[in-house]
Amino acid sequence: MALITYYTKGILTNRNLWFWGVAFMIFWLVLGAYSFAQGLPRQSNILVPYTASWYGTIALYSLSSLAISIAYSIYYASSSLAYSFRYTKLSPLSYAGTLVGSSSVLGAILSVIMLVSTYGLFSTRFSLRLTPSNPIEAILISALAGIFMMTLAMFLVLIAVNYVGLQNINLVTFVPLILAYGFGFSQLTTPLPPALLYASPYNAIQSLLFQAYSGLAPPAQLDNASSSLLQWQYLFASLIIWIIMLFLIDSYLLRKIRPRQVEEGRQI
Amino acid sequence: MLSVQDLVVTYNRHSDGPVLKNVNFQIASEEKVVIVGPNGSGKSTLLKAILGLAPIESGSVKVFGTDVKEVRGDVRVSTNLAEVYRLAYVKAKDVVKIFAELKGGNPDSAFKMFYDFELGQILNKRIHELSTGQQKMFGNILAVSFSPKLVLLDEPFDNVDEGRRRRFIEVLRQLPAEMVVITHEFNLLQRLSDWGLYFMIEGRLWGKFSASLLDRLYITRGEASGSLAVMETSLGRLSITLDHGDIAVRTATNLNALLEQV
Repeated sequence: MALITYYTKGILTNRNLWFWGVAFMIFWLVLGAYSFAQGLPRQSNILVPYTASWYGTIALYSLSSLAISIAYSIYYASSSLAYSFRYTKLSPLSYAGTLVGSSSVLGAILSVIMLVSTYGLFSTRFSLRLTPSNPIEAILISALAGIFMMTLAMFLVLIAVNYVGLQNINLVTFVPLILAYGFGFSQLTTPLPPALLYASPYNAIQSLLFQAYSGLAPPAQLDNASSSLLQWQYLFASLIIWIIMLFLIDSYLLRKIRPRQVEEGRQI
Repeated sequence: MLSVQDLVVTYNRHSDGPVLKNVNFQIASEEKVVIVGPNGSGKSTLLKAILGLAPIESGSVKVFGTDVKEVRGDVRVSTNLAEVYRLAYVKAKDVVKIFAELKGGNPDSAFKMFYDFELGQILNKRIHELSTGQQKMFGNILAVSFSPKLVLLDEPFDNVDEGRRRRFIEVLRQLPAEMVVITHEFNLLQRLSDWGLYFMIEGRLWGKFSASLLDRLYITRGEASGSLAVMETSLGRLSITLDHGDIAVRTATNLNALLEQV
């Protein structure tokens, strides 16, 4: 229990997370509310999906920033983990479980901040109460998204630590964020095939958060309400399958973790 | 019980030779040994291999009868290596609490020792904010806390002031545990006279001698008759002899200086 508490505390005191995962995301929300919304009619049937699409996309980006913090924490702990699995009560499964607990809490915290920010900014801008339809659902989806980001971050770092080496560790830690921007922005503006949206955990998160905020079925293209609608059951199943699959692979990779000197990752 | 047999460790097979070359040694119940050697001789690598932190190319390390590659959850083994205490980015006091829980120990006993060593103030800092000596003492105290049965200490007195050195040596002497202490300083050995003594040079381990014999040990060039051991080094063969020889070990402050004289 001590580890989960202090791990969460350690990530929460990471200034990079607060800047890139919170402040920078609020900056985007300000743009979404005040700059990109020029000319939108003051009608709730237009503004609710517009606000929800911003919430879904920005919360996704924020959660992917969390993945970077988690990735670095695993990278710095490789020697400690290799030692702890042998000479303490910590097991690969209990460590992965600790990170599941911690990342779900962190995901929920980020989600609440994004929910409040989105509601406050967009409601103020349009002088209309754009209340989230189901905030509890949004927080629960974000908690799951936090777990997904953790399992993905752990997968990428453990591949680098165990097999590839640390020369490109800085790039590896940013992969979850890069993918989030790629998938997130694509669904916002591009008509993607529903099969891809169902298969992509990023789009599953984004769509489910859209639905939780708006109470509407998510369209395949978020800025086009007339595009085909996605079914939340498939999106949810996709996210869960990704989490389980990555968790199992991570548990295996953790057992094989190679202790690395952090200096190996230095580029300069 | 610690048993190391024909241990070979190589970090990079393509560019470097082995760092440890067929190292053999055993430690019996509650036995304490000190390994001295020049910088870069492989002492720390030996410790890391025992801890599962160095790549074992061949040979074996058995800790309490279990191969180190198979060991899981054995809380009896501890170390002062700073890198093993980086599980989370938190203050020193929180690291103590985390490892107390993971070792099944009581953090209060560790906290008491920090205050006994007048190091209570470091507990509210993060590890990287500590001075080199404070970091060393942080690792030392965690290594001897939570009732360990095998303690592996890497240069535990580096950058530690004389008063704390003396007190920590007393802690080590009284701890009912097997112990491997690695150092390059000879002057500490006078205080560990009832301990076993090994020399490590260029990845090979020579011994066991008794640290109480330190004042009587000499190094002699070549293969001397009646020598206690003959070491194969890049300087040629060197014999360790008793009471006579080319250079008295006691005249050097460390093995680097001694080898320079040779």
